[in-house]
Amino acid sequence: MNIEVKNLCKKFDEFELKDISINLPKGKIVGLIGENGAGKTTLIKCILNVMHKNSGEVILFNKEYTDSLKEDIGVVFDDSFINETFTIMDLNLIMKHIYKNWDSRLFFKYIKNFKLPKNKEIKKLSTGMKKKIEIATCIARHPKVLILDEPTSGLDPVMRSEVLDMFEDFVSNKENSILLSTHITSDLEHIADNVIFISNGSLVFDKPLKEVKESYIILELEKDEYKKFNKKEIIRVKKNRLDYQVLINKKSMKKEYNKYIKNITTLDDIMLLYIRGSVCED
Amino acid sequence: MRGLIIKDFLYLKNTWKNLVIIFIGSLLISIALGNYLLTICALPLILLTNTINTFQTDEFFNTDSYTLSLPLSRRQIITARYIYTFIMVITAFFVGLVLFYLIHFIIKPNHNGLNTDMLKYLIMLEGTSLLVDSIFYPVIYKVGCEKSRLVLLSIVMLLLGIGSILSVYINVFDKDFIDFVAIINFIQKNGVMVLSIVVTISIIISYFLSILFYKKRDF
Repeated sequence: MNIEVKNLCKKFDEFELKDISINLPKGKIVGLIGENGAGKTTLIKCILNVMHKNSGEVILFNKEYTDSLKEDIGVVFDDSFINETFTIMDLNLIMKHIYKNWDSRLFFKYIKNFKLPKNKEIKKLSTGMKKKIEIATCIARHPKVLILDEPTSGLDPVMRSEVLDMFEDFVSNKENSILLSTHITSDLEHIADNVIFISNGSLVFDKPLKEVKESYIILELEKDEYKKFNKKEIIRVKKNRLDYQVLINKKSMKKEYNKYIKNITTLDDIMLLYIRGSVCED
Repeated sequence: MRGLIIKDFLYLKNTWKNLVIIFIGSLLISIALGNYLLTICALPLILLTNTINTFQTDEFFNTDSYTLSLPLSRRQIITARYIYTFIMVITAFFVGLVLFYLIHFIIKPNHNGLNTDMLKYLIMLEGTSLLVDSIFYPVIYKVGCEKSRLVLLSIVMLLLGIGSILSVYINVFDKDFIDFVAIINFIQKNGVMVLSIVVTISIIISYFLSILFYKKRDF
């Protein structure tokens, strides 16, 4: 494992991250999904010791956490980067004095590929351009793990696709891995091996994507059909204006349910039903 | 850690235009008043402002989470900032010294305001800058830059209040309780030594308090 989190708890006044245990295996891209405020960023910050955990354990590269182990971790935060009065040239100068493995040649190769200006203040660049700089900065240090919080937000579809390809290349050596927190779940459907779903501070599941997609199925039932439906089989239900959306385990699937199947069950649908749906009570 | 010190110097480099404008402003006022003391005093104050400004811009761009994700301990992050401050104060001292000799021997050889006591003033000015920083830093690391202004203002007001109450109390009950004249005379004679001791103790306490506060903070 590159990262293991065991029974991590973090309490705030009005929010709590409850007993989270997750793994980031070698050679895998793990998607981290959940609603706004679910605790994804808090979990990432606790892993990196940016926030202090109340209890639990973080193991990096099979060793007990120390700050120096972050040498092998590349990070993109959603809302935090370097002082934006700096230029890309400044950034290179700073990073090569912080990271032992900093590769200026690789950094400038990405900067060139992304068509970014080297001598312009970062604050004067667009959101997408800033994201590209952050991605280049975290890959140019030759890390073993990337922890990315919304790395593709602000990128156009073409660049997003390029960046996702870069991520796939990164894990292709079977040693590196990526923890990718995103709201764009369609990105995960393309590249993620595993998916961690956190809702309201609790872990809902940590499973291979294939298993998630094979485990759940969404049915759309009209009111009468819903009344007759075996409620014990329902994991979550959401009442819409005209019908009911029902999340069930694929194991509970019966032939007669085929006509109710929603065309394609996406990660978004599953997440939405978990968050906005309710537990069915007879 | 070296990277963080370089980061702060790069910030200084990026804001050099503002610093030069302030410096030229102080020089023009000095020429108008015929007293170059202001120019020499302005330099450490400009650099003092710069060290505090590095905190402000870091907070403005929300860099704390990113800085803590680097392979550095919280202690190293604090140490880098203190080393940067020391380098700035020493630089300001030597630049001030060069300015003093330039003005004293070249521009205005017979200027009354400039004499060998200037060295003492320069040391005291730099010491005071360090003293201010040593008070500011732990407060900033405890509550952040924005709130620190309020906290420091409250501390100053509180001290003034306590001072006022004490002065009234002393005047009413025992006018000879403190010999202020003796204290002022002592400071005039031993100012540099007293300040050096106070600044050294203050910086040491400040450094350890900053580490203590920063280690506990979440970002």
